[in-house]
Amino acid sequence: MSRNSPPRSLPGRLWDFLTSIRLTVTLLLILAVVATLGTVIPQNEPVARYLVSFGPRWGPVLLRLGLHRIYDGPWLLMPVALLSLNLLACVIRGLPEAVRRVARPFTLEAALQLPLRGQFTLPARVNPETAVLPALRQELGRLKVSNHPGRQVYYWESGRFRPLGPYLIHLSLFLILLGALVGKFLGVEGRLAILTGETATEFTLAKGKGSVPLGFTLRLDDFRVEYYGGTATPREFRSDLTFMQDGQEVGRAACRVNHPVTFGGLTFYQSSYGSQLAGPVRLKVCKGQECHTLTVGQRRGENLPDGQGQVMLVRVDANFQGLGPAALLAYREASGGDQPQLFWIPARHPELARRLQTPFYQAGPHLFTVEELPLKFYSVFQVRRDPGVWWVYAGFLLCLPGFVLAFLRPSQRLAVVLEQSPKGHWQGRLLGASPRAREVFQERVDRLLMHLKKGTAV
Amino acid sequence: MISQVLGLVTLVYLTAAGIFLAATLWSSRRLEAWGRWALLAGLAAHLGAFFGRWLESYRHASQFTPPQDLGATLSLVIHQVPLSNFFESLVFFSFSVSFLALVSFRRHLKGALAVVVALLACLILAYASLAVDSSIRPLMPALKSNWLLIHVLTCFIGYAAFALAFGAALLYLWQTRRSKANPIAPPPELERLMYRAVALGFLFLSVGILTGAVWADSAWGRYWSWDPKETWSLITWFIYAGLLHARLVKGWQGRRIAWLAILGFAAVLFTYFGVSFLLPGLHSYL
Repeated sequence: MSRNSPPRSLPGRLWDFLTSIRLTVTLLLILAVVATLGTVIPQNEPVARYLVSFGPRWGPVLLRLGLHRIYDGPWLLMPVALLSLNLLACVIRGLPEAVRRVARPFTLEAALQLPLRGQFTLPARVNPETAVLPALRQELGRLKVSNHPGRQVYYWESGRFRPLGPYLIHLSLFLILLGALVGKFLGVEGRLAILTGETATEFTLAKGKGSVPLGFTLRLDDFRVEYYGGTATPREFRSDLTFMQDGQEVGRAACRVNHPVTFGGLTFYQSSYGSQLAGPVRLKVCKGQECHTLTVGQRRGENLPDGQGQVMLVRVDANFQGLGPAALLAYREASGGDQPQLFWIPARHPELARRLQTPFYQAGPHLFTVEELPLKFYSVFQVRRDPGVWWVYAGFLLCLPGFVLAFLRPSQRLAVVLEQSPKGHWQGRLLGASPRAREVFQERVDRLLMHLKKGTAV
Repeated sequence: MISQVLGLVTLVYLTAAGIFLAATLWSSRRLEAWGRWALLAGLAAHLGAFFGRWLESYRHASQFTPPQDLGATLSLVIHQVPLSNFFESLVFFSFSVSFLALVSFRRHLKGALAVVVALLACLILAYASLAVDSSIRPLMPALKSNWLLIHVLTCFIGYAAFALAFGAALLYLWQTRRSKANPIAPPPELERLMYRAVALGFLFLSVGILTGAVWADSAWGRYWSWDPKETWSLITWFIYAGLLHARLVKGWQGRRIAWLAILGFAAVLFTYFGVSFLLPGLHSYL
């Protein structure tokens, strides 16, 4: 391609645009701004929330522009697509040259062309090889040698593959972006909640796009959660799953956090859990010595058996404050005014009802304890099929050698040329170059020169 | 015990900063060597405190789940690495700053830069000890993964390298401001340090983001979920990628690179602190 002729054809100008660093930097800037917007504006919230928080003027504008789903829309996809093209174009433009440079062996001619870094002299009586080689071997390791009568050259190269590093990184980024696009357009992602003992045949797609059949039947046999002793912090939770096809059991697996389970092309990730009532709650109500049993359902007002008050079951929790199952009850005494009392009744700790200043305190006159609190766990899974994930992982693997080559393996070339003068002594020259690691290289040159000159004194 | 050691380490770092300052003022090579020894002593104690906390954290966890066999013991040891909350991450951040300065960039550890680095390590540790809850909490299930160790380790080594680049950039801007005052350290050296620290940080940040993605893939079922922490680490990555391209492709040097290094570190700080305190998300535990 002719680089210096000013009038360029349209494809040529397009190519220049696609391979320009200015495009890269602009795209990175745009992506940074888009990403920032996405963390400032809450994402994927119900429409009404935007109208409330951004007002009637800006709310609709924001929704019209799609800023509430910025990571799924053209705001992100356009720059990412352009960046992929930019990456690919840069790789296509530079890779052949880099490969040629790497493939070209480090020859004697190339070694002799390196710039001069220092000089030293060896007296005629010494054997140049024994004077120079030990120092060189110690510093550099294996050397190439060229021996001629009257001239000896030792030359050495490291970081030969450095030019490939940046291209590996860019190629890996391209793979990752490609994998992300493949996953976005060809993959599915959703959620699935199942109650213990029940089965599911479909799952809900993310962002309210309906539901999809699993292609098999999934049964949650058991769900278990263990807590750190005496706290509400879960230590571990797991779901025992059975996969069934046409009524036949075809597989079993335990799904835990960090340990997903794959079946039939879908992967299940343990995401969260909860509990709900499996039947009515039985309470014991006492006033003085007189006790009754009372059955309550959720969110339904219930008159007390003695007719002197009302209760409503507000909520249940499988492990409230680390104390085990508990029920939140609203209670209003017949003569107690409008304000109901709200308190938790822990099934295993009825004694807490008398403790002041706690969420368990019951002022009376009725005293409530739990007789039966039938709870059932449900387990929530993230469900996914992503054909792009292997592209992404291939990109991850490819970029590691890329980084090592680009940043940790600077190319260095060194040569020591020994020439015998007519008078018989040896004139030594140290040649070398390392365009990207001058500092380390200079230290090495200084060290070498010191050793080589020491050799002179022997 | 461990908090006392960390308090002592803070003081040692402060002392090292003082010695380095004196060394700069009197251009004394000997004082500079003393400063290095002080920093090294602090670093050794710091490492001791790190392992002490690790042991304590392991003991704490093995009360709840006594490991049954060697494999379980090993995995419990790995999961209990003290990198799982804000306090522990700050302690490790400070450690990485002085470690990188003493090991990877020892040639540059002199003059005003040494003062800045020692002060930085001291301030981070002081903040951790004085203002952050240091209690050992049991791990939530999502954090129990072998990826925790490598993910947090790489991220914070990256942050520490960016902190060094930031220190160098500040000094560079100060020394190249429009005045004739005699320079404290030769700016070309600071310039090189800036670049090398950014390159190292970029490498570690990249690996940190990648390991985070692999972990997220097994824990949350998505390798990228645009969680604020993820998003901001990506923005940080963009800025430093821009810096590296500006220097390597466009040949930018000096003050412009220094300003980019400062911008990048602002993004690092926001990723680290801002996201944790201002934006709720999946990373809310750190």
